[in-house]
Amino acid sequence: MTARRFFRLPWRTSRQIRSDVDEELGFHLDMRVDALIALGMTRDDARARALREFGDLEDARRYIGAVDRGIEATQRRNDYMRDLWQDIGYAARKLRAAPAFTLAAIATLALGIGANTAMFSVVNGVLLRAPAFPKADHLVRVRYTQQGHPDVGTPMDLVDNRTHATKFAGFSTVEGMTANLVRDAADAERVPGVRVSANWFSLLRVAPLAGRFFADGDDQAGGPNVVVLSEALWRRDFAGDANVVGKMVRINSTPFTVIGVVPRDRGYPFSAELWIPKKFTPFELNDQSRGARWLGMLARVRDDVDVAAADRDIEQVSALMETKFPEEFRERRAHLATVQEYTVGDVRKPLFIMLGAVALVLLIACANVANLMLVRATARESEMAVRTALGAGRGRLVRQLMTESVLLSLCGAAAGLAIAKLGMTELLARAPQSVLLAPRASIDATTLAVTAIVAVVTGLVFGLLPAIQVARNDVAMALRAGARGTRSRPSANRTKRLIVVGEVALAVMLLTGAGLLLHSFAKLLSIDPGFKPDRVLSMKLSLPQRTYDSTRTRTFVRALETRARAIPGVRLVGLSNILPLDGGSFGFSFQIRGRPMPRASEHPNTEVRLVTPDYFATMGTPVLQGRAIDASDQPGVAQVIVVNKAFATRFFPNENALGQAIALEWGEDTAAVMRPIAGVVGDVRGSALADAPEPTVYLSMAQYPFSSLSIVVRADGDLASLAGGLRAIVRDLDREVPVYSVQTMEERVSSSLGRERFFATLIAVFAAVALVLAAIGLYGVIAYAVTQRTHELGVRVALGASGTRISRMVIGEGIVLTAAGLAVGIGGALSAGKLLSTLLYDVHAADSLTLAAVVTTLSAVAVLASWIPARRASRVDPLVAMRGD
Amino acid sequence: MAREPMDLLQGTLDVLVLRTLAAGAMHGYAVSRSIRQRTEGVLEIEDAPLYKALHRLESAGFVAPEWGLSENNRRARYYSLTPAGRRQLKTEESAWRRYAEAVFKVLEAV
Repeated sequence: MTARRFFRLPWRTSRQIRSDVDEELGFHLDMRVDALIALGMTRDDARARALREFGDLEDARRYIGAVDRGIEATQRRNDYMRDLWQDIGYAARKLRAAPAFTLAAIATLALGIGANTAMFSVVNGVLLRAPAFPKADHLVRVRYTQQGHPDVGTPMDLVDNRTHATKFAGFSTVEGMTANLVRDAADAERVPGVRVSANWFSLLRVAPLAGRFFADGDDQAGGPNVVVLSEALWRRDFAGDANVVGKMVRINSTPFTVIGVVPRDRGYPFSAELWIPKKFTPFELNDQSRGARWLGMLARVRDDVDVAAADRDIEQVSALMETKFPEEFRERRAHLATVQEYTVGDVRKPLFIMLGAVALVLLIACANVANLMLVRATARESEMAVRTALGAGRGRLVRQLMTESVLLSLCGAAAGLAIAKLGMTELLARAPQSVLLAPRASIDATTLAVTAIVAVVTGLVFGLLPAIQVARNDVAMALRAGARGTRSRPSANRTKRLIVVGEVALAVMLLTGAGLLLHSFAKLLSIDPGFKPDRVLSMKLSLPQRTYDSTRTRTFVRALETRARAIPGVRLVGLSNILPLDGGSFGFSFQIRGRPMPRASEHPNTEVRLVTPDYFATMGTPVLQGRAIDASDQPGVAQVIVVNKAFATRFFPNENALGQAIALEWGEDTAAVMRPIAGVVGDVRGSALADAPEPTVYLSMAQYPFSSLSIVVRADGDLASLAGGLRAIVRDLDREVPVYSVQTMEERVSSSLGRERFFATLIAVFAAVALVLAAIGLYGVIAYAVTQRTHELGVRVALGASGTRISRMVIGEGIVLTAAGLAVGIGGALSAGKLLSTLLYDVHAADSLTLAAVVTTLSAVAVLASWIPARRASRVDPLVAMRGD
Repeated sequence: MAREPMDLLQGTLDVLVLRTLAAGAMHGYAVSRSIRQRTEGVLEIEDAPLYKALHRLESAGFVAPEWGLSENNRRARYYSLTPAGRRQLKTEESAWRRYAEAVFKVLEAV
């Protein structure tokens, strides 16, 4: 009766529906007319009567047509869903029936998809997700270049931009600071903060979590001392107290009133924990100060202007300033970078490369599963042939297989999410601050959506080849061979081999990438930093500038030095204003005695370090010529300087630096005192291990007491317990002086390479996974080939081939496949290597050592992967083999 | 038959069609003739709403159509009740009876 419930009838088109309706209604009218004629009416009367009895024919046609189209659509949907459920049910039964295959495939996919999800969630959190400010793409940092070199802003640039730029909603300064925060009875604490203009938070467009933000006059001279706290600081130090607004705290010994709290993730810079207004002195806001370049700038582009137009606008302002101050501002230009670009600039490329690397891992996983599916498809040829013979269309069979593939990869993705969760926790724990610019990586809706898409695409990718193979099947042949298990055709074997060659090639690329980064990392580790980091403990402290004048600072330093030296086990104690590899910079321009005054645009620059007499000995930096800063360099004594080798060779290439003299342009000390060079010391890697040492001048700390101090202690015995002793001394000297960044120098060297270590480790892990997957793939194909050729091998053994000969033959096959993969992969690696070149230190992208290591590793793995099936092949019993077939 | 034919109450046609099809599969013309005969002209039923009702019932899953050959060998669309249609007929029939009884109780109580 209800045929459509049991068999699928052909679907009806709209036109068919219309003609069916007409036929049904036509039949009715004809029947009625015939009946009326039989009662004696004329045909015309009968027709008129029938139409009258019918009522509104047109309306009925329209109505019925619409209802039928609705029925048809529902029907199609139901048919489709039923087929789908049928396919899914069938696929699930088939997968359950082969648990070994299913588990292997799901595990492989879970690994690939999980790794991708973890990596993507980090990339998404750090690079893709915009900062949480309204219209964040209009929030920009203003950067300067002069004659093509990076330059920094001056307070007057802020004035110029506010006056002349028209496409901006506002400009603010941003100056990093570290605050000694003292509240109530608690110990002093070292907190990262910024000084900003009063319009800061209105540029960001955020609302306070509590209290208010700065008012207009807060950044003027004489304005109130007010501070805004981050939510993290508020919760940590004030236990989230709602009455924090109005509380007094001391920042660098000045009292400040807390006025508000910034919600989590809404504060910028992301690392800042407190914000105070930047009050410019009249001295700073003066055309004479255009040389003092230290100012950072944030701006908001007007909503109705696009950033490119604003960029041109601000460039014109800097061009205008060049016409006014042609000497200072020669070829100096302003550019915009969105806050996002500004923050992630350096890690963008490596993170995307890692994402690419992990995608290769997924491709290899796909290749393995595709091969598994191919083997299975061969084993299922007779099943497929029977279904075809029973009337299943090729499309239907392909769809069935694709359903299986997608189902597999969705299962893989589900398991992969667990791996991703683990992987992400691991990534977040290991990533250094320099990579994890915002710890916002999480498995969110975007990540889940991407995972789902990756899973489906993955399923389609690895399901396609087996499906195509099925579509090509010859039913009659398969059925004939079917009874005894089919013998796969040469084309299927060729596909499997090609896939293995492909995955070996991908593994080669990953291994090469990993090899290059590891080699580069090893080179970084072997750099001589210019000091001996072993057995040296370091820590930083900063004296509140308000309460420490030069005399008091000098006394503090001397007391600290003396008491630290008295700790048992301590051999040497030194202090400096900045430690190497710390990213700190303290640079000044200078003038050399007997040479013409340099032009402002040339400004020869040098780093300046203030050190105590034992500093060089403590750090293990050698004195090359003359003497180091020593105990005789006291206030009131004629000042001398010590320079490093880089300074001597740069500025006195053909002369003896000793005995020369320079005058530093030293902030307020504009008298330009000539100081003779008393010694030359070895170079120290200042900002990063990979960077060439910069010219550096050392002055006596006794002559120039400085509030920001780092102490280094060379000692025997346990450095960790030493730290406690040093802390106790500082606390005893002054409770308001915070101690922070306590690390051995070895730890500093190591953490300065945090980013390089992280990326090298990451890609090494990916490469290791790739290698294992490729080895499994190779093993699978060789082992399968051996199984298929059992008969042939039996014949060979019967004819006298020795076991060794047979296994050599099988291993040879593995080596041929690997060699092909190596050839392709090295080609790919050489071209992809260029991408890596900016991440490499002293290693060429086509590094022969790395390539040799990759070739050796892969060949060894290939021999191993083929050796197991080869051993099995060499033990084939000819009688069993030939009878069995 | 001197009186004017009555208008159909909403939903009445559906139950009449279902009742008619309870006898077995038939095409639209047969349903139309059967209803006219049974109501003896008391109800004014046009064919247009009848066909609309048939397709509406099909869409609701109460009747299932199938093309077949008519008594004079023409292609005709035959309708038959589905199990759901049978259940629907029962529900509507008893609802009608209760409704009619209630009305009669009031009318006869005078």
